[in-house]
Amino acid sequence: MAVSMRLLVRRLIRLSHRNVAVSRAAVLSRSHCHWEPLFCRSFSDDRNTHFGFETVSEEDKAKRVYKVFENVAQKYDIMNDAMSLGIHRLWKDMLLHAMHPQPGAQLLDVAGGTGDIAFRFLDYVRTQQEQKRRREARSMQLQSWQEISNSYPTIDEGGRQESRAVVCDINKEMLKVGKEKADGKGISAGLSWVVGDAEELPFDDDQFDIYTIAFGIRNVTRIDQALQEALRVLKPGGRFMCLEFSKVTNPVLARIYDAYSFQLIPVLGEVIAGDWKSYQYLVESIRRFPDQEEFKYMIEDAGFYCVQYFNLTGGVVALHSGFKL
Amino acid sequence: MAALLRGLRAGRALRGIGGALVAPTATNPRCSSLRRGFHCAALRLQDESKSDKPPSSSSTNYHEHYQAHPTDQDTTAASQGDSADDLAADEAFKTNTSYQDQSGEQGEEYETEEQLQVRILSASLEFVQEHGWSMEAIAAGAETLGLSSASTGMFNNGAGDLVLHFIAQCNLQLTEILAEQHKQVQLGQAEPKHTSDLLRDAVETRLRMYIPYIQTWPQAMSILLLPHNIPDSLKHLSNMVDDIWYYAGDRSTDVSGYHHPRSPPSSARTFLSPFHHHPHNIRPATVQMNWYTKRAVLTGIYNTTELVMVQDSSEDFQDTWNFLNNRIQDVVNMASTAKQVQSTGEAVVQGLMGAAVTLKNLTGLNQRR
Repeated sequence: MAVSMRLLVRRLIRLSHRNVAVSRAAVLSRSHCHWEPLFCRSFSDDRNTHFGFETVSEEDKAKRVYKVFENVAQKYDIMNDAMSLGIHRLWKDMLLHAMHPQPGAQLLDVAGGTGDIAFRFLDYVRTQQEQKRRREARSMQLQSWQEISNSYPTIDEGGRQESRAVVCDINKEMLKVGKEKADGKGISAGLSWVVGDAEELPFDDDQFDIYTIAFGIRNVTRIDQALQEALRVLKPGGRFMCLEFSKVTNPVLARIYDAYSFQLIPVLGEVIAGDWKSYQYLVESIRRFPDQEEFKYMIEDAGFYCVQYFNLTGGVVALHSGFKL
Repeated sequence: MAALLRGLRAGRALRGIGGALVAPTATNPRCSSLRRGFHCAALRLQDESKSDKPPSSSSTNYHEHYQAHPTDQDTTAASQGDSADDLAADEAFKTNTSYQDQSGEQGEEYETEEQLQVRILSASLEFVQEHGWSMEAIAAGAETLGLSSASTGMFNNGAGDLVLHFIAQCNLQLTEILAEQHKQVQLGQAEPKHTSDLLRDAVETRLRMYIPYIQTWPQAMSILLLPHNIPDSLKHLSNMVDDIWYYAGDRSTDVSGYHHPRSPPSSARTFLSPFHHHPHNIRPATVQMNWYTKRAVLTGIYNTTELVMVQDSSEDFQDTWNFLNNRIQDVVNMASTAKQVQSTGEAVVQGLMGAAVTLKNLTGLNQRR
């Protein structure tokens, strides 16, 4: 009797906790930090954030970032090559290699401006398809006449969807430069250019297999919102990949990297692009971005699973990947 | 099991008081993955007691576990488990509706990431014939589960993951079959088999599991030989050989005589015989070597038979089974020959000693005056 009474009391206590917690638990069940932004949204107009080493209000940051990229759009690619000594191409190749897209994958490249990732993606998929076709042709040479004739109707099976890449950027200038590059390369099939804000993507839910954001997420005002949007537009099983500058682990390399960033890069910016301040903003924004582990927790909090990161070039760049499961 | 239950209840209690202590928990994402595991298990407990599924599915899982470990400690935990399940069921019925309303994606959170990976790999096995042991097969498997092909990125080892998963599955099936046969013998419903027969049947059963994939099996074998896959494939192989010898009667258990079922492989110690796990357990060196030689011999037989099988084109692989038979016979003959050689050797040595003593007597060297 006493035991059942105790059980009953315990159950009642737990129920009362549950009723209190149920509304919060619904939010807690997805992520632990979810409710904080909900709570603070009422004060969002007065919230401050960082713009490089300055503190500005959130609306200001978006405008100023827009100005920065408007200014650098024309010389963006040249400056990338100059500042990273061409290594940024290797980083982007590593991103594609880790992505290993399967035929028929749909890619959304956010903050993809000049389209580097999208071009590489289409190249990769096309080469893979060619290799597959070549392999099939080679194997067909060993088959009997009967088998070849049987496989004729199935050769050009277009049942599988073609892979597509959508480049989305908030800045029209960057997209313009990207489109010109595409025309120059002669790529037009399977590529779209969309203007959109990473915090509020103009796409429906469950659209894309892969979402990438290369060197763009540190410019977003509210990173958690961008992560949630990424979760929304990805299909179940879809992959989120983010390439971004991060904390260098090796102290010697860190010293050299700091000196290079603060002394050389703004100078390069002034000489090549005629814009000191934009490149000063660039190196400062890199320093203000959270480090690898913290960003990993942010991605997990947004609801992604199997989150892992790889350091490239000793931590100068980190590649984070998560899945929507 | 008891520890898991305690952890679950602790997790539930934590969430219950989470409403009051939101600030600290919100800034504590460090243990998020651990709690996610608990949370998923807790959610699963609650959902499995919902209406459409049989309500005691979670409790039957617990009961099966308890039956496998029939000791006193666990029976008390079983009763605790029952009461916990009842409580969970009651609470779940009260709060089910709110959970369902909040998000329609509850289904995906019900299992851990590892379980989802296992499901994807199992689904991919059907596509191996078409695509070979490769990422395309895994992508096709993921698509049948409704996941995008990009989820193949979860498998860092790619095709190796698929092959190792298949091997683990085969080993599990083999263990179940052997356990079933063993139980039959124990219940007296079947005749106990001779050791060599049991070995032959076990290896044959195991190799027959490859028959549906035999066209692409050479590719799988080559994947297993890649340097980063070798430790895992060796581990699976040694586990399988251990299992077969265990059911063939080699009860080399630890000191206490506790009749333990195969414990999960821990570390490099898996490769050492149980004699080495207990330093105070002194056995003769010959018996220790016997443990190693038995396993080495069976490993050799298994590997060679596998190689014969992949290039065998006879009806129902009859050549392979003949080869297997002959190898096992060789081993049996070898064992008896070894014994004969030993006894002959002893006899010969004694004879020589006798001859030497006789010679010494004859030549008078043995005289002591």
